[in-house]
Amino acid sequence: MADRMRVVGKSLARVDAPGKVSGTAIYAADFALPGMLCGKVLRSTLPHARITRLDVTRAAALPGVRAVITAADVPDVRYGGGLKDETAFAKDKVRYMGQPVAAVAAATPEAAEAALAAIDVVYEPLPAVLDLEAALAPGAPLIHEAWESYTAIPILHREGNVCNRARIVAGDVERGFEEADRVFEHRFRTGMVHQGYTEPRAAVASWDSSGQVTVWSNTQLPFEVQNTLAEILQMPPSKIRVVVPGVGGGFGGKLRVGVEHFAAFLARKSGRPVRVATTSEEELTAAYPRQGSIVELKTGVTKDGRITAKAGRIWLDTGAFAGSGPGVASVATLVLAGPYKIPNLYLEGFAVYTNKTNCGSFRAPSGPQANFAVESQMDIIADALDLDPLEFRLRNIVREGDEGPTGQVLNGVGLEECLLKATAAIGWKDRRPGPGRGKGLACGWWTTTGGSSGVYVKINPDGTVALNTGAAEIGTAAITGAAQVLAEELGIDLTDISVVAADTFSTPFDFGAQGSRTAFAVGNACLAAAADLKRQIFALAAGQLGVEPDALTLADKHVAADGKRLSLADVARLSQQTGGGLIAHGTFIAPPTPYDTKRVEGHVYPAFHSPSFHAHAVDLSVDPQTGEVTIHKYVVAQDVGFAINPTYIEGQIEGGVAQGLGQTLSEEIIYEGGRVLNPNLTDYKMPTTLDVPRVESILVQHPSLVGPHGAKGVGEPPNIEPPAAVANAVAAATGVRITSLPITAEKIALGLVDARAGGA
Amino acid sequence: MRVRVRVNGEWREADPWEGTSLLSMLRDELGLPGSKNACEQGECGSCSVWLDGELVCSCLVLAAQADDRDVRTVEGLAGDGGLHPVQEAFLEAGAVQCGFCTPGLIVAVTDLLAQDPSPSEAMVREALSGNLCRCTGYQKILDAVRLAAERMAPR
Ligand code: FES
Ligand code: FES
Repeated sequence: MADRMRVVGKSLARVDAPGKVSGTAIYAADFALPGMLCGKVLRSTLPHARITRLDVTRAAALPGVRAVITAADVPDVRYGGGLKDETAFAKDKVRYMGQPVAAVAAATPEAAEAALAAIDVVYEPLPAVLDLEAALAPGAPLIHEAWESYTAIPILHREGNVCNRARIVAGDVERGFEEADRVFEHRFRTGMVHQGYTEPRAAVASWDSSGQVTVWSNTQLPFEVQNTLAEILQMPPSKIRVVVPGVGGGFGGKLRVGVEHFAAFLARKSGRPVRVATTSEEELTAAYPRQGSIVELKTGVTKDGRITAKAGRIWLDTGAFAGSGPGVASVATLVLAGPYKIPNLYLEGFAVYTNKTNCGSFRAPSGPQANFAVESQMDIIADALDLDPLEFRLRNIVREGDEGPTGQVLNGVGLEECLLKATAAIGWKDRRPGPGRGKGLACGWWTTTGGSSGVYVKINPDGTVALNTGAAEIGTAAITGAAQVLAEELGIDLTDISVVAADTFSTPFDFGAQGSRTAFAVGNACLAAAADLKRQIFALAAGQLGVEPDALTLADKHVAADGKRLSLADVARLSQQTGGGLIAHGTFIAPPTPYDTKRVEGHVYPAFHSPSFHAHAVDLSVDPQTGEVTIHKYVVAQDVGFAINPTYIEGQIEGGVAQGLGQTLSEEIIYEGGRVLNPNLTDYKMPTTLDVPRVESILVQHPSLVGPHGAKGVGEPPNIEPPAAVANAVAAATGVRITSLPITAEKIALGLVDARAGGA
Repeated sequence: MRVRVRVNGEWREADPWEGTSLLSMLRDELGLPGSKNACEQGECGSCSVWLDGELVCSCLVLAAQADDRDVRTVEGLAGDGGLHPVQEAFLEAGAVQCGFCTPGLIVAVTDLLAQDPSPSEAMVREALSGNLCRCTGYQKILDAVRLAAERMAPR
């Protein structure tokens, strides 16, 4: 089918590339207004403490300082997603080191720094809850004493420091364990990691005389930020305009209000535009990183390698506020099930408060943590049963028409093909090619997030097209993908399309650039708009050409029938004279995925929509002395449904693997005593050109029922499997099984020492 | 403090505070936001420019140090004839995602190819190891370097 396509399925250059390579593209961090002040935030220096004194008089009197604000200056409201537990500033007490206590706006960054230093704040330390075990211990101090009084969606199961417990129960797990020949129990741990987007979070706010505020922000979710600002500022959303200039990466870290509210408050108080942008230190101490976790798995199997039952629990350290925790804990249970047919399941995900920064969503939230445990254990079990890990997986994976863990019916299941192709490409038959060298495999499944998207599509009088979408382009080229879908349908070239995006006043609603949904949902909205436009175009052209509308076709920028044709430009001009121009509002809402409601509890994400399937294989060596890992080859076979733009899908895979290898081998936000030990990019080590191998991407295409041309979400999945694939390869290479992330050289080296001692 | 600096061939003047970096002066006072401020710690290379022909992280250079000297930024690369071959190569190879690292990388790659017109992949990796990109995994950036080197090779 792709052969007949001119635009979709082709590796065309992204629509925003020229501005980005020339340095003229403007990002939120670049955006400036005349007279703009610099805003900065004073942050708590203790993980848990009572504020006994907070005096800003001296700071406010310093030269160049135009505004200083604290909790006393802003509406006393708690906000948040499903659970409203956050405040703009700490009031009475601080709950993590880095929590905002005050903010200032001044003429220069230096004056703003001086003002922060002049704020007089005194803390009385409180016992802090520094990890999951401490938070869950009987009698643990409560992070939120008044948790019961907070507003929350009723679906959440909360208790003390647990801000949600999501559960899946299917079949009878105890009977399943009885039917098993062997039962395996393991425990895994993962560290907290940062998205590492290169552009810091930044926002500029400016008020006009009518009381309307405009915020230029690099958020992934302008409409969500508009609504959250309405809550925080206690203003109607109609008075809040959020505009997204270029975004320098997000990976889920720019979903939630982070600096926008400070910019808005400071701009109101100072009467001047204010920019607030984070530093690297603020990013690593007070952003929305990926939750660290503990996972326990109990899995029963028969002698011939069929899984009869699985009980699993994941505890996510979500920090001092719920953030995305309750939702992520829900998603985690679907990942714990894995892409396997298991008749008996008992799976729980817990989001747990601690005195750390508030965690959020990071590319495939919970995916790497849960998959690391599941896929590591699959290999451990395969070894114990003396089965090839590939064969063990093939005996248990889901196939077309099978049920997912909550009873959803699975379509477009390309997992077997992914596993076979990834293993063939890595040379699986020779799994231990030499001393200290081994190959590892991991597979998984993931969702294409639902939600609705709208676009306005307008045909310009020169026959080119303006695509107006509420979705922000965060780097993935998803908007280019959607534009390719539109260009195909309208018989134009991709270069004929210009994009206006992400302005809550002038663009239609979009659920946002999150959850691998943008090309999928905006692409479908483009299909709807194109269908409407074609009706308009054919009606006009039919009259003009004296033919029946049904006889007309649209191709090559012309509408034609019976040898007569009219250019798209002519039709657009004609429409301007007769009917206000050619414009359509295309919308899309992902259809609900039916599931068995009796199997879930406390669950805000009970099924994976248009799920994708993937397998990763890696070939690596381990230095026997230092434990250092060298990756020789990395292969990803991903079922993308339909590849709208193969080059940028490869880009998602290559980038996702690189980021995944960072969290596998080197990255961790390390807390000690409630303080981050490595809040800079020297000590928080993200992969460079010297660390990342070339990745071979194999695009498997089992179309989804819903996506444009069968496409599925592609952005998040490549981030999921690297930890498990590497852990399995390290075990194959050395016999050392590392059960915690990151898999540092030090951990491997210690494991090798232990192994040698044990063997001696 | 007055600073007089030749930027992309044109003499410009600015009046930065004495602690201001060259990067901030370029971005905030001279209207050249192409050089990006990602870390301000010398760790990411997004602020790469040439100072008297030498590649530097402009966040680590004081504006005052650029006085009476020559600075070239990403904005100075494209000519009347359109994009620079390195810019073209990034565009064609799919080496651009969010694009925030891109200006710094394009400057670094242009500098590398000026010194070594056909570097091996290992040398490219070494030369670009100070430029962080979180989106691409670097693969298509390496492809872009190869493409640019081929295009720029004297025939
Ligand atoms: S901003 Fe200069 S190296 Fe990062
Ligand atoms: S393209 Fe986003 S950081 Fe490189």
